[in-house]
Amino acid sequence: MKRIAILSALALLAGCDNDPAVVFEDAGIILPDDPIDLPEGPGRDAVIENCTACHSPSTMLQQPKVSREKWQSIVGKMKTLYKAPVDDAAVPAIVDYMVHVQSQPEPGV
Amino acid sequence: MNDGRLTRRALIAGAGTAALAAPAVAKLAAMDVIDLGLPGGPSLRHVNPPFPGKGAMIVQRIRPPLLEAPIEAFRKGIITHNGWMFVRWNWPFPTEIKAADHRVAVGGAVKKAVSLTLDDVASAGETVSVVAVNQCAGNGRGLSQPRVTGTQWGNGAMGCAKWTGVRLKDVLAKAGVAEGATRVRFAGLDVPLTDGAPQFIKSIPLDIAMRDDVLVAWGMNDEPLPILHGFPLRIVVPGWFSTYWVKMLATIEVLTGEDDSYYVADSYRMPAQPITPDSKGFPTVPITTMPPRAFITSHADGDTVALGRPLVLEGIAMGGDAALERVDLVGKGWEIPCELGPDEGGPYALRRWTVKLPQVAGDFEQVGVRAKNVNGAVQPAEFVWNPSGYARNVIERITLRAE
Repeated sequence: MKRIAILSALALLAGCDNDPAVVFEDAGIILPDDPIDLPEGPGRDAVIENCTACHSPSTMLQQPKVSREKWQSIVGKMKTLYKAPVDDAAVPAIVDYMVHVQSQPEPGV
Repeated sequence: MNDGRLTRRALIAGAGTAALAAPAVAKLAAMDVIDLGLPGGPSLRHVNPPFPGKGAMIVQRIRPPLLEAPIEAFRKGIITHNGWMFVRWNWPFPTEIKAADHRVAVGGAVKKAVSLTLDDVASAGETVSVVAVNQCAGNGRGLSQPRVTGTQWGNGAMGCAKWTGVRLKDVLAKAGVAEGATRVRFAGLDVPLTDGAPQFIKSIPLDIAMRDDVLVAWGMNDEPLPILHGFPLRIVVPGWFSTYWVKMLATIEVLTGEDDSYYVADSYRMPAQPITPDSKGFPTVPITTMPPRAFITSHADGDTVALGRPLVLEGIAMGGDAALERVDLVGKGWEIPCELGPDEGGPYALRRWTVKLPQVAGDFEQVGVRAKNVNGAVQPAEFVWNPSGYARNVIERITLRAE
């Protein structure tokens, strides 16, 4: 018992010598809502069903204008690399939608 | 499927719910829009919705958040207010963390694997602070020409803060680095939604990990790290791009070979030599250290200045992975040295510069500022394109109209 008491005292002393540099408190935040804000166009439903569960629509809408082939490869990357459970049958509609959206004048965001 | 991850069915169900709810959600206000000047567009960005603890940020993406600082963040001083530090997450992350429950596992090629509490980490060694620029490897990607896909940042995916914590090497000493160690890899609490997608883990060479100024940090500008910036702990590697500054640090793993994980071996890489946009099959190297950069903050492209009057231009500059040596104002066929402000934060911090022109004689076409660091690295006059838009450091130019 005595030995334990000495150890405790030493631990306390060490605590005094080394004032805790920081006191960690719990933290929490509430993130803002992420409305599905996609312009109308062919394939919009396929995009909502397959893409927007993982990320905001803005990720797609803000991209520079690229070719249909590039969109095809981006959707492929989402499937094969990031394991997005995109329905194969929906891929043409998703690509159609992105090509369509990029052919429109820039919306006022 | 693991708990908390999404099956295809759950994804569809979740998306369907969101879609049904969409009409009830107020549309993003069409006000408060910033034009990033991205060539060919789309270039307009909202500065809402607001995020907790943040000021008016350019919202590149709501989920997971990508928030860019407006130029106003850099108009005064060298420290970026926490409310204006850029935010970048690759994957979703917890929005509530209990301090007492958090652990940092130190394992891999170590003498004794340990699981550390936050207090264990904080008492692992001397508390130290370093002022350093935190910059996304893709800062300025949206300005690339030809354009490239990815997050379309302007130049606000950067900030300079005072980071406080303990040295990484002191935390590593709690476990003891074993013989043959080559690299140290970090993982945070941010994990992919989908099963089998690569986790965002990053590693640095052992000699970098053992530097005196590489930290496990809990403080950002004398406040606890906000959740959006990696509460409770993040890695700080001064002079290196922030892709290595892993947030919500949960695992430190000592490696004995190369790192073959996706975000080191396959992503965040640059062509080893300059290429053209149609190049294929070129060798690549990882993005590591930052090059020097400088920006005019007192004036924006297209501003008017008073003809015949003196003009003062001001701004910020960084040396990158070495101290800033000089900044020059450069136009077509002329250059004028700028006066550097005081060295307030050390080699990895921002530094202010100013230049006084006695009289405005006409328009300033494509005038910019060029930073050079003490290692001789200097910003190029011509943009060097790469397919992922990394490490932009071409001289940024604006045009001022004299009236």
